Amino acid sequence: MISAAMDNAAPTRPDVDTALLKVEDLSISFPSPNGTVHAVNGVSFSVAPRERMAIVGESGSGKSVTAQALLGLLPTATISGRIMFDGHDVQTMPASELRALRGAEMSYVFQDPLSSLDPVRTIGDQVCQPLRIRGISRKEAKARALDMLAAVGIPDPARRYGDYPHQFSGGMRQRVMIAMALIGEPRLVIADEPTTALDVRVAAKIVDLLYALSEERGVAVVFITHDLGVVAGSADRVMVMYAGRVMETCAVDELYYRSIHPYTLGLLQSLPRVTGPIPEQLSTIGGRPPSPSDLPSGCAFHPRCRYVRDVCRTDTPTLRTPPSGQHPSACHVAGWLAEEPGVLR
Amino acid sequence: MTDTLVEVANLAKVFGTGRYASKVLDDVGFSVQRGETVGLVGESGSGKSTTARCILRLIEPTSGTIRFEGEDVLSFRRAKLKEYRARAQLVFQDPYSSLDPRMCVEDIIGEGIRIHRPRQKRTAIRDQIVELLELVGLRPDHLPRRPAAFSGGERQRIGIARALAVQPSLLICDEPVASLDVSIQAQILNLFVNLKSRLGLTMIYIAHDLATVRHLCDRIVVMQGGQVKEIGSRDQIYGSPQDPYTIALMRAVPEPDPVVARERSRERRLPSTAEGVAK
Repeated sequence: MISAAMDNAAPTRPDVDTALLKVEDLSISFPSPNGTVHAVNGVSFSVAPRERMAIVGESGSGKSVTAQALLGLLPTATISGRIMFDGHDVQTMPASELRALRGAEMSYVFQDPLSSLDPVRTIGDQVCQPLRIRGISRKEAKARALDMLAAVGIPDPARRYGDYPHQFSGGMRQRVMIAMALIGEPRLVIADEPTTALDVRVAAKIVDLLYALSEERGVAVVFITHDLGVVAGSADRVMVMYAGRVMETCAVDELYYRSIHPYTLGLLQSLPRVTGPIPEQLSTIGGRPPSPSDLPSGCAFHPRCRYVRDVCRTDTPTLRTPPSGQHPSACHVAGWLAEEPGVLR
Repeated sequence: MTDTLVEVANLAKVFGTGRYASKVLDDVGFSVQRGETVGLVGESGSGKSTTARCILRLIEPTSGTIRFEGEDVLSFRRAKLKEYRARAQLVFQDPYSSLDPRMCVEDIIGEGIRIHRPRQKRTAIRDQIVELLELVGLRPDHLPRRPAAFSGGERQRIGIARALAVQPSLLICDEPVASLDVSIQAQILNLFVNLKSRLGLTMIYIAHDLATVRHLCDRIVVMQGGQVKEIGSRDQIYGSPQDPYTIALMRAVPEPDPVVARERSRERRLPSTAEGVAK
């Protein structure tokens, strides 16, 4: 009986030991003329194989920096904590192993496809690159690149293969980026705001495409975005970041329907919607996100929080599940929010 | 009583000539009543910004008419055009590149007043500027600072104060919240709602998505490929959109509700009749 119950729980709550990616107590800081910038402060999370996780945060929340650290893309930063990919520590890995990991096991889709594609090389050449580096013949690489370009929805890939990035529209360039990220058959794709620069209809198509490809190919996806609306329909799990810390993390439905963090709730309520009643005023979060070089004491969100208490100004809340709650939240009043669902809604 | 402030008819704009010619606007027509907020919605390349620039006479349309309070905007020259510049103002999309980094806030906001009403006393101008700052939610001690000292949302407030400084009858906002953080977007949208009721502003609000527009606009003009696809009141557009393009735009709006979002995503993946017509 017990094992049956565990089997049931397995898909949604993966065992930590089977995690594909495991980040423990990650802190990242950069030296700057105005003092050290603490971009990420003690972030822990894990991603299971085939899982789609969204990291949501505003500018300065540390979401992109976290993602870049996963692939060892931050040579100038001071990093503490552990990043384990499939049981191997990314930070202590020799450079040659890290190179072998990038593209083949773990790949990255950048926000701006125009500045991250090489303007003087053809699309085909760039999509082939991850395979060519691994010593796959030109002919086979081309055949696989054509299949991949077709899979990401580029019409007539054989004709577009020799085209340059400037001949592609924004949405098509992002599809090329996705093709490049997936051609090495990685187990994890990190997509850093892949839809931000795109029109709404194109953005929706890219989100749908990433969803379909991750289903088909069994790829885990870490989707980084500033917009809670974008990932609602595609993510399995969401992690909300603010000022370099994790505020709340849980399954997607739990977050949208039963959030127990004032920041998440504030974000959800401030989104303009196309359905439902039109409020006279959108509810807002007052103030602005703090600068990572000058974080407030205690809970970093306290100057903007409606439910601030004395303890919030002095003590930094840790991420934990309140007795009455179902998921962890880094908030001193999370217990109260969990007991009184709807108090903020 | 409502009367027409802006009337655009048969507006066309062709960039380039010969085989490089591309028709960016094609028979665009709509009107804006005094006190009304009209949303111009479309994706990149739809011609929404070009339309706004034509109305402001920042670029010259190839053909068509634009009337402002019944007068032919395209016939304005010199003094008349300068006067028109004070009547119709623009809030730019990017609050970073649209404020001169070497000017302080007082000069940025006061520049228009000095140009359009040169006889005003310095102290009177300063009083106006302070009033404007408070109107948009900034403080008088911000006056000597330069744009670099402000966040994106605050810069956008400065841009709005600058536009309002010359007391325009028409404010055109070109995607004013597109480059702001989600929590700041709502603040700026609320500011527009407040300004609208306090000053009785007439606005043309340009956006690429239908969600922000819904909170602000009385009427919506949906554009695609330089053409007007649908014009309707807010209730019409959101309640029963007619044009397949409007419906497709509506479906693509990210919905912060997992159940609804999954349903939308399923709808988008299935080839639907509505989109079949659009293709």
